[in-house]
Amino acid sequence: MANANQLYYTELPKLELPTLNAHTAGLEHTDKVMQIDDGFLSSLGEEHYPGNLGNDFKLFGTPALLYRRFTAKLVSQLAQYAEKAPERASVLDGKNGVGKSAELLKVASVAASSGYLVIYAHSTTRWVDSSRPYALRSNSDQYMQLEIVSELLRGIGAMNSEVLSQIPLGKDLVVGKKTLTATKTLADLVDLGVRTPALAHNVFEALLAIASTQTNVPVLLAVDEVNTLWSTSNYRDHNDEILPASRLRLISSLLPFFEGKSTLAKGWVLGATSYSDTRFMPKNMRDTLNPAPKVPVANRELAKELKAEKLQNALPFSVLRVGTMSAMEARALMNFYHRANIIASPVTEALVAKRWIVGSGNPRQMFAGVTSFF
Amino acid sequence: MLHLLGVNLPDRKIVSVALTYFYGIGPQTARKICSQLSLHRECKLGELTESQLNQLSGVLSEMSIENDLKRKVAANVRHLREIGTYVGKRHAMGLPVHGQKTRNNATTAKKFNGSWLRQYSTARSAMFGELQSPVSKRL
Repeated sequence: MANANQLYYTELPKLELPTLNAHTAGLEHTDKVMQIDDGFLSSLGEEHYPGNLGNDFKLFGTPALLYRRFTAKLVSQLAQYAEKAPERASVLDGKNGVGKSAELLKVASVAASSGYLVIYAHSTTRWVDSSRPYALRSNSDQYMQLEIVSELLRGIGAMNSEVLSQIPLGKDLVVGKKTLTATKTLADLVDLGVRTPALAHNVFEALLAIASTQTNVPVLLAVDEVNTLWSTSNYRDHNDEILPASRLRLISSLLPFFEGKSTLAKGWVLGATSYSDTRFMPKNMRDTLNPAPKVPVANRELAKELKAEKLQNALPFSVLRVGTMSAMEARALMNFYHRANIIASPVTEALVAKRWIVGSGNPRQMFAGVTSFF
Repeated sequence: MLHLLGVNLPDRKIVSVALTYFYGIGPQTARKICSQLSLHRECKLGELTESQLNQLSGVLSEMSIENDLKRKVAANVRHLREIGTYVGKRHAMGLPVHGQKTRNNATTAKKFNGSWLRQYSTARSAMFGELQSPVSKRL
């Protein structure tokens, strides 16, 4: 841009930030902005960052996120579950823009660098919004999405190239017309699924079955926008009736892990809800996750009915609430924005307090407040 | 452009939108056809494989669309006229059929109603020498 005004069109500053990995993910790095590993992000594919993070990373010039106290808590839980998986899956929940997808991305990045087998699905809305091909499975009422599963397998292969080759199949495996001997590893299985999209579903289900029972390597099964697993999709069946998401084969293979019907031997099943697209947030789940304020009911019979209704709506997973940012975290964030040239003026206590209070501690709202003139 | 059953369909359009280019297929019918063939919402016409196009042609050929449908509608209106119904007379006079006011407006009815009766069939005229016009003795 030859005629560009140099005051406005400046180059993005090159920030030197520590990379978030197993060594740097500790309490000593709390309230510091760290860069997500390039290798991990490249395995997600171009422009396939979760939620709004893609636009944020473009603005920063580097894929960087704040390492919060909550992140440190999640990382310590991840290390704890490396030996024995918990009985129930965990799901991150919180208000829109509070950082659920970002926390999941950070945990997945740390797990990948720690030698976990990471199965990370960063955008499940695309699985149910009828934007990708689907086909009825023969002799079944389930629908297949070969393109999506093939893409998922490609991402898993790219993210876990070394780890997959450490896990042997353990027994001869017949996938379609292909037979993989017991000496082959999960890397060969994933490679088969990528090369033969028609077998993608069979390969993915076999991968989940083997990964969940093996004890060589801990597994992190991370699914963003996890509420879509229980929603109604935008797909329709042959009779033009709306398909529930559970009738999609890909989703039906993941649901048991979040409902406690299938468990991992080692590792963690972690999800994150999303309120960005309310089409795929089931009403009963939204009401259970965000119950109305409790009002004492004088009528005892009515109170018993309400209690019974509450037990019926109980969720099959444990909920981890992602809270708003503390003042220290807000200050760290503002300092980073100043370094990344998003805030021109120096960061003062008054500016941090203003942004923190006006944004109610919500990172998305604080960011929007800072970039409102962009 | 894809030529299907006598109609030129734009390749770049979404299938459920492109199907509405057929006379007799609206958004709902188009959606039902896509559901029947397991075509997702954002599927473009140009992305369909040959087997999917054959399936689509098969489904469309079983439906009453385009000229088949036009002939049916014309026959229905002609029948109403022939048996001397009120609706038939309104079609013949080119006035509103469904009880609308004629004191003012009714321009659409005056422009289009009766067009199903004002079709000159050369085959029939040649065979029977019959003049088919609204101003016929049968009126």
